[in-house]
Amino acid sequence: MNCLLEGNGVKVFGKALHALSRIGDALWLDPTVKGLALRAVNSAHSAYACFLFSPLFFQHYSLGSGSEQGSGSVNCKLLMKSILPLFRCLTSIERNVERCQISVSTPSDRVVVQFFCRHGITKTHNLRFQESEALQAVFASHLCPNVLKAPARLLCDMVMHFPSSQEEITLSVTPLRVSLTNYCEEGKDPMRTMYTEMSLHPDEFDFFQVGVDLDLTFCLKELRGLLSFAESHSLPVSVNFSTAGKPVCFSVEDVVLEASVVLATLMDSESRGPSQPAETLAPVTSRCADAAVLLVGSCEADSGEPRCTPAVMDLVASSQGSPIISPPPLMLPLLQIDEPNGLGELGEACASLTTTPASSTICSLLFNALSSEQDSDGYDSRLPVLACYSDGEESMEEDHTGSPSL
Amino acid sequence: MKFRGKIVDVACLNHVTRVISTISKLTKTCVLRLTADNLFFVLSGKVANGGVSMWCELSQANVFDEYQMEGVSSEDNEICLEVTPENLSRALKTVQNAKAVKVKLTKKHCPCLTIAAELPTLSSISRVVTHDVPVDVIPRRLWHEFKEPSMPDFDVSVYLPPLKTMKNVVDRMKNLSNFLVIEANLSGEMNLKIETDLVSVTTHFKDLGNPLWGDDASQDGGPSPSRDPEAMAQARVDIRKLQQFLMGQQVNPSKAMCNIVHERVVHLILLHEDVSLQYFIPAVA
Repeated sequence: MNCLLEGNGVKVFGKALHALSRIGDALWLDPTVKGLALRAVNSAHSAYACFLFSPLFFQHYSLGSGSEQGSGSVNCKLLMKSILPLFRCLTSIERNVERCQISVSTPSDRVVVQFFCRHGITKTHNLRFQESEALQAVFASHLCPNVLKAPARLLCDMVMHFPSSQEEITLSVTPLRVSLTNYCEEGKDPMRTMYTEMSLHPDEFDFFQVGVDLDLTFCLKELRGLLSFAESHSLPVSVNFSTAGKPVCFSVEDVVLEASVVLATLMDSESRGPSQPAETLAPVTSRCADAAVLLVGSCEADSGEPRCTPAVMDLVASSQGSPIISPPPLMLPLLQIDEPNGLGELGEACASLTTTPASSTICSLLFNALSSEQDSDGYDSRLPVLACYSDGEESMEEDHTGSPSL
Repeated sequence: MKFRGKIVDVACLNHVTRVISTISKLTKTCVLRLTADNLFFVLSGKVANGGVSMWCELSQANVFDEYQMEGVSSEDNEICLEVTPENLSRALKTVQNAKAVKVKLTKKHCPCLTIAAELPTLSSISRVVTHDVPVDVIPRRLWHEFKEPSMPDFDVSVYLPPLKTMKNVVDRMKNLSNFLVIEANLSGEMNLKIETDLVSVTTHFKDLGNPLWGDDASQDGGPSPSRDPEAMAQARVDIRKLQQFLMGQQVNPSKAMCNIVHERVVHLILLHEDVSLQYFIPAVA
């Protein structure tokens, strides 16, 4: 893959990286025919972001010679801390950088970022990458019944009332009122926490389509990057969601790029079972009872029920070290686990519920590896779309047939 | 106990927000005393805060357009609350362009100061923002800890140099030493000194002027007329306390003074419009 960015494009690219860095520590650089996709996911798999730059965005965009790989391009996983510093200071980039060339060199496992600056200075950075499956969350945002659209400015004005340290907020939507309140985590003393609520009328939104009253709780911190990006480009933001517990997708698009952030949302506390067994578990796991498990196994349009595709063979590296948490009973119906001790594959998936402060309440999007070997449980391995992420240790198929991107 | 106030004037809102923001930089928590005429932000000198104490006074009429306060009882017609000024400051900052801001003492999950505002929008229905800032009600038996401090028996009183200059000096000195000596005399001279094994640095300020406290001062035992105008009174203080004080100041006050009780305490007084802020830093050996 080889692409050339010019002038302002470098700054936009940098800003996208800033937004992605709010999500996770690693960056997936996935060159495709449709454009260059930059993706990130957080360690608890409760937040995913994707910036897709179409070929038009670049001065020049090519996918590399066909002899290298079957698909003609390589999917790279980079450490955010190796690429972000290159684009850290956007004002100095704006002043000094004339062009930026990014290319992937497979033989040396390097992504080469070259800045062509004023005064004939060229800065070349070689970044090691790890070959990886393309990362994708499967979330059919266009199928969500509830949609809000507003200028980025409006959303920024809404969230500015909350401190930047605020982790989770609750968006409450009714036909008459839209409000945001900060969500008080159980760990914090409710007596000492400042409670903020801001509300406005649906008329302020450019588009407002909401079926039922609902409350969505999600992590604000991870969204701020996208909001900031959208505001700097004055792009309208679309918010697509269905119910509490299912993911919410914030997206922006213009002619040359599309960006979206998918966040897991907290499940409704009313759906908690009466026995509340979760309370006997350690605080971290009790949050799991509330958490929504975003199981995205199928792209079947009418599958409102989150079906679990237990063919989770590969989990993120971070989860493999986590203790196996026996999933609280509330999650069992969703996960269709027989063993409450969670030793099944999906139990491992629950193990990916790390105790990261931001996401200990929110359960993960599940990423299923795409593999033709995954029919051991008798599930249809022809499920057309599976979100893919693996450590790349197995020899996985590289082509993903028809996986829709967000 | 009841408290309701309404701020409609944007300048007043700005003013009180700035005061509270300054206070929030000086201390994490403090006591807010609401009386019929005034608001006081008080920090009593305890070992926990390094013996530093603070007293800030502003008149409620210059902030609130409407003000209703019913204290604990008719004899003790005031309310004492322990607050985190940072929360108040944050809440007020988000509503700066509101048409009106209401502040009320409420009881939600705990006693709170609720700040509610309507923000103007292009459409007919405005946005509503509410912040519930949790507070602790201070019982009457503890009120004696939060009384107005008396003017100390100072040896020298001098006007401070421009706070920004002072802050720059102190910031640099902080890198070299943990303690700083402030000394001044009645000839309008002030020195800031640090001394370590390797280096000693002194910054001299001249022609600062000395405030005249008048007859009251000499009655209180202020600088006696026989004091040598060149003689320095000094106090050695923790440099971070002084830096904290200087960091918080956002506006150049109309009057900034420093009273020094030789080797006992440094008393800083800032006056700006109707707000007075006093800050006491104890001397260390």
